[in-house]
Amino acid sequence: MSVGAHPSQPAGTEEYQPVFTEQMLEQLNEILARYPTRQAALLPALWLVQRARGWISDRNMAEVAEVLGLTPAYVKGVVTFYTMYHQHPVGRHFVQVCTTSPCNICGAEAVVQALLEATGAKELGATSPDGKWTVIEVECLGACGFATPVLVDDDFIESVTPDRVPELVRKYK
Amino acid sequence: MVTLTVNGRRVTADAEQTILDAARAAGIADIPTLCWYPKLPIVGNCRICLVSVEGQAKLVPACATKVADGMVVQTESHAAVENRKGVLRLLLERYPGDHLRNGGRAAPRNEFERYVVRYGVAPTPLGARDLALRHGDERPGDPMIRHDMSTCILCTRCVRACEDIQVVGVLDVAQRGEHAEIIVGADGDPDKAGCTWCGECVRVCPTGAIFEVMPQERFAPEQIRQPQRTVRSVCPYCGVGCQVDLHVADDRIMRVTSPDIELDTPNQGSTCVKGRFGYDFPQHHDRLTKPLIRRGWLKQGGHWVWRGPTGAERRGGPWQSIEAEGQTVKPAGPPRAVGKAVRDLPLLERLDMDIRDRVATPAAWYEPFREASWDEAMELTAQELLRIKRERGGDALACFSSAKCTNEENYVMMRMFRGALGTNNIDHCTRLCHSTSVAAMQRALNTSAASGSMREVEHAADVIFIAGANTTESHPVFGAAIKRAHERGATLIVADPRKTELAARADVHLQMQPGTDVALFNAMLNHVITSGLEAKDFVARRTHAFDKLRESVRAMTPEVAAKITGVPAERIREAAEIYARGPNTSTLWAMGLTQHANGTDLVTSLLNLMLACGMIGRWGAAMMPVRGQNNVQGASDVGAIPFVYTDYRSVKDPKVRAEYAKAWDVPAESLSLKEGLMVTEIVKEESGVRGMYIMGENPIISDPDIAHAEHWFRELEFLVVHDLFLTETARYADVVLPGSSFAEKSGTFVNTERRIQLAQRAVDPPGDARRDLDILIDLSNRLGLRTHFATAEAVMGEIVTVTPSWRGVTYPRLEGAGLQYPVPTPGHAGTAFLFDERFPTADGKGTFVPVEYAPPVELPDDQYPFVMNTGRQLYHWHTGTMTRRASGLDQREPTPVVEIHPDDAAQLGLEDGDLVRLTSRRNAMVSSCRISERVARGQVFVPFHFREAAANLLTNPVLDPYAKMAELKCCAVRLEPAHVAVAD
Repeated sequence: MSVGAHPSQPAGTEEYQPVFTEQMLEQLNEILARYPTRQAALLPALWLVQRARGWISDRNMAEVAEVLGLTPAYVKGVVTFYTMYHQHPVGRHFVQVCTTSPCNICGAEAVVQALLEATGAKELGATSPDGKWTVIEVECLGACGFATPVLVDDDFIESVTPDRVPELVRKYK
Repeated sequence: MVTLTVNGRRVTADAEQTILDAARAAGIADIPTLCWYPKLPIVGNCRICLVSVEGQAKLVPACATKVADGMVVQTESHAAVENRKGVLRLLLERYPGDHLRNGGRAAPRNEFERYVVRYGVAPTPLGARDLALRHGDERPGDPMIRHDMSTCILCTRCVRACEDIQVVGVLDVAQRGEHAEIIVGADGDPDKAGCTWCGECVRVCPTGAIFEVMPQERFAPEQIRQPQRTVRSVCPYCGVGCQVDLHVADDRIMRVTSPDIELDTPNQGSTCVKGRFGYDFPQHHDRLTKPLIRRGWLKQGGHWVWRGPTGAERRGGPWQSIEAEGQTVKPAGPPRAVGKAVRDLPLLERLDMDIRDRVATPAAWYEPFREASWDEAMELTAQELLRIKRERGGDALACFSSAKCTNEENYVMMRMFRGALGTNNIDHCTRLCHSTSVAAMQRALNTSAASGSMREVEHAADVIFIAGANTTESHPVFGAAIKRAHERGATLIVADPRKTELAARADVHLQMQPGTDVALFNAMLNHVITSGLEAKDFVARRTHAFDKLRESVRAMTPEVAAKITGVPAERIREAAEIYARGPNTSTLWAMGLTQHANGTDLVTSLLNLMLACGMIGRWGAAMMPVRGQNNVQGASDVGAIPFVYTDYRSVKDPKVRAEYAKAWDVPAESLSLKEGLMVTEIVKEESGVRGMYIMGENPIISDPDIAHAEHWFRELEFLVVHDLFLTETARYADVVLPGSSFAEKSGTFVNTERRIQLAQRAVDPPGDARRDLDILIDLSNRLGLRTHFATAEAVMGEIVTVTPSWRGVTYPRLEGAGLQYPVPTPGHAGTAFLFDERFPTADGKGTFVPVEYAPPVELPDDQYPFVMNTGRQLYHWHTGTMTRRASGLDQREPTPVVEIHPDDAAQLGLEDGDLVRLTSRRNAMVSSCRISERVARGQVFVPFHFREAAANLLTNPVLDPYAKMAELKCCAVRLEPAHVAVAD
């Protein structure tokens, strides 16, 4: 938590800014229409929060609970069960590198090192001082024939090698 | 029914039962369980109850496998035992069990450790383990419940108890795999997660990971594990009548648990925060341990004479009046999440709270008194009561009996006042409670109690209609049952000006203006009748005067009512249709209806709706006035009210009188045929009452318009107060008699569903304090009424002879779940619900009593623009005499707070915790405020528990014409910020 907070979501004690403003509630209502109960819409509702704020704080969880008529503890149980919801601030760009066996054999670790250098994040899971980047290792991304696959936010990039990394990083502002 | 074999024994069972149920029912009770618990949903995740079933390759979970005909079960087969050892070994990997490697095995600390010992499993030494001990939210600093999750075995009983029994959902499991842990809300703060501190999680936890703080701070672990004795009693708070077990050590109550859930008690093992944690007031250092006599009373020549000051100083003392205390500065109350949107929640708890012992009796209050012997105190009391009777007649005396005392005590009290003092001036707090309900029910149905049971509301009602009852705070255990009913699919309609917890979860919330209930119910009736939804057959067969009723509600269309109540006409129609269609609608109401100057009419209009729809006399269609005090029903049943003897038999009837004269061995003429005065009539100059005996009541906080009441009590010739503490009322007494708390006596209480329950003595009264019954028997004899009861049981022996509907009641029969009266004959099983065929009227029919809407006496105006509503908080009880001396409860709500709507607060420039001055036409007082969306705009909610900001300074003493109830729920007030303008 010592890393820089996501710009839109201060981690301190400032006054809480609700996520579900009018416009966000509209989006939520569209989602709700697709599900039989409000509870069933929890996962997409959490995605809305994560997209808006970069990560999901305890207060966000309480707000989601209130909006969907669930208990805060239940929401936290769900958030913490899934690894793809961030419970801490992350960089504006979230990079996931596959380091499972086939990719590892093809040099995934070197890709990771290159990414940590090029982004300035330095350490896995940490956020670069400019608040732009967080890099983590993940298990199989399902592209073993195109090692090493990298996910930058929602972009799936195949066959990444250490020398392609600086260019890749430049593409994301 | 199917037949199976368990451990070689033939067992018959219902086909829907599980192996576990069937085995336990047959007395094979030792199948171990961890995640299974009575009443909780079955999850089958702990795998310790696995048993062998012949012909099945794998072990099966006994808790989750239904029985089958011919099944052959071995509960302790080699495979089952080996599996259990494996399960326990795995759980021990994350359990701090080093003590179980050595001497600790001799004294297992909890349910889990008992299994570890039973199956001979030893934990790996702590240092040799791969996994660290578990952690989780600890509730640091919590006054009542804390967590030590290192002993958690993740059975999730607590999660399900909170979610499925209490229907709150504070707890859940978070993280995954080896990191899984129990969490409190999203951020570890139980308050924001809606916790009510009921302690259900404590009750179900098999390892003590969730534990009560208070016993641990006061008693040694061995004492807690092995209490000297455990005594069955009845909770001393609300009318639900929860059975509780008092654990005793060193002649003190150590902790409270609730009896085995499978027994058919009203609470089924649950309690609320007051029941589980509000038990330490009997041991508070403020307890009176010796009788007190006001200095100034001297015994001269064998006679007591007053030699103290006269006039205004006669009952003076070094204290502020309640009125003056109302003006002083108060600390801000702790912030609360209840009724707030998440965006309004405070981030940091306020730290400026000094909370302990502020209400404890100030030492100076004892100064006007001297300690006395029982003989002196009783002699003086008897002398003065008899003197006033002699000089001014019996009707110059009056008595407030107590809904916190047992039936036996109330009976002996009323026997003493009627038999020895010849007056019917005996009443108790029912007057300020359900007296209007009784008046209305008497008028319509000639009955005085609920027709049904709480468990039928929980299990059988299709629709639950709640009017003016904040059940989850005032009767929390019943409130949880209502929430469970709602979860099971019952439709919930709540009529309440406030957005209470139940209102917020209701299918229809009728949020009307205070005091406009008659318009609301009449409009619902109007719609029922115009839509032809009335129960035509029921109305024709079982009621009178429906035509008159139809006429009377014709003009009150939903549109007209919408203007009066503020509830949209469509919603009124919707509620009316749901109510009438049922098929079984239960009708609940409480103080929101009764505490009005037209409370009788309010209840009457609800009864009209109920009768017109035929929603009474079937299982699931209950009429339930939810009673407030734990024995307000019983105190009335045994005649501690001014118009009737036991069983509501009129004091005006000479035949009835003769019966009691015979039972009490007094001349018939000594019993008055004149109905007595009621609480609210007694405290008036014109009542002519000059001497009073008050047992366990505190009218100087509970009566409307306190400033007047305080003055009135000071003017009395003689005042005896019989209580646990030197209350605000007792400080004006001539004699104060130290009585006994619920834990210090045996006796019976009647709950809100007419259930007579037995409470047993757990500890002795402190010091020279005496059992209440002994005090009353002693005084009766001194007043010349021969009274020789050795025990409470002997008193019950006399009660049943003069109470036809209790005739079959005996103490042995009350053990266990008690009996719901009527119990008219010996051996009668009691009556779960009434009126399936007839009402107890002369012709068996009920009567519609048309009532017209009348606005509340005080409506808001330019000068007093807010409507003030009064009521209870979850953590406090009435005048706070008990709960403000219960350390856990008092820490939750240590100081008065009034609730204000955010918009009103913004307009007044008030923030959470600011001081606000409330002024009504009677008086003014200062309190801190809490901003909450539970109150509507233009309204303010004032709890009545606090001496330093007494709601009743402001309330309107205007009375209901029938029941003499005061307008406690509704008066007009002005609010102003009181940041600086408060004189200390």
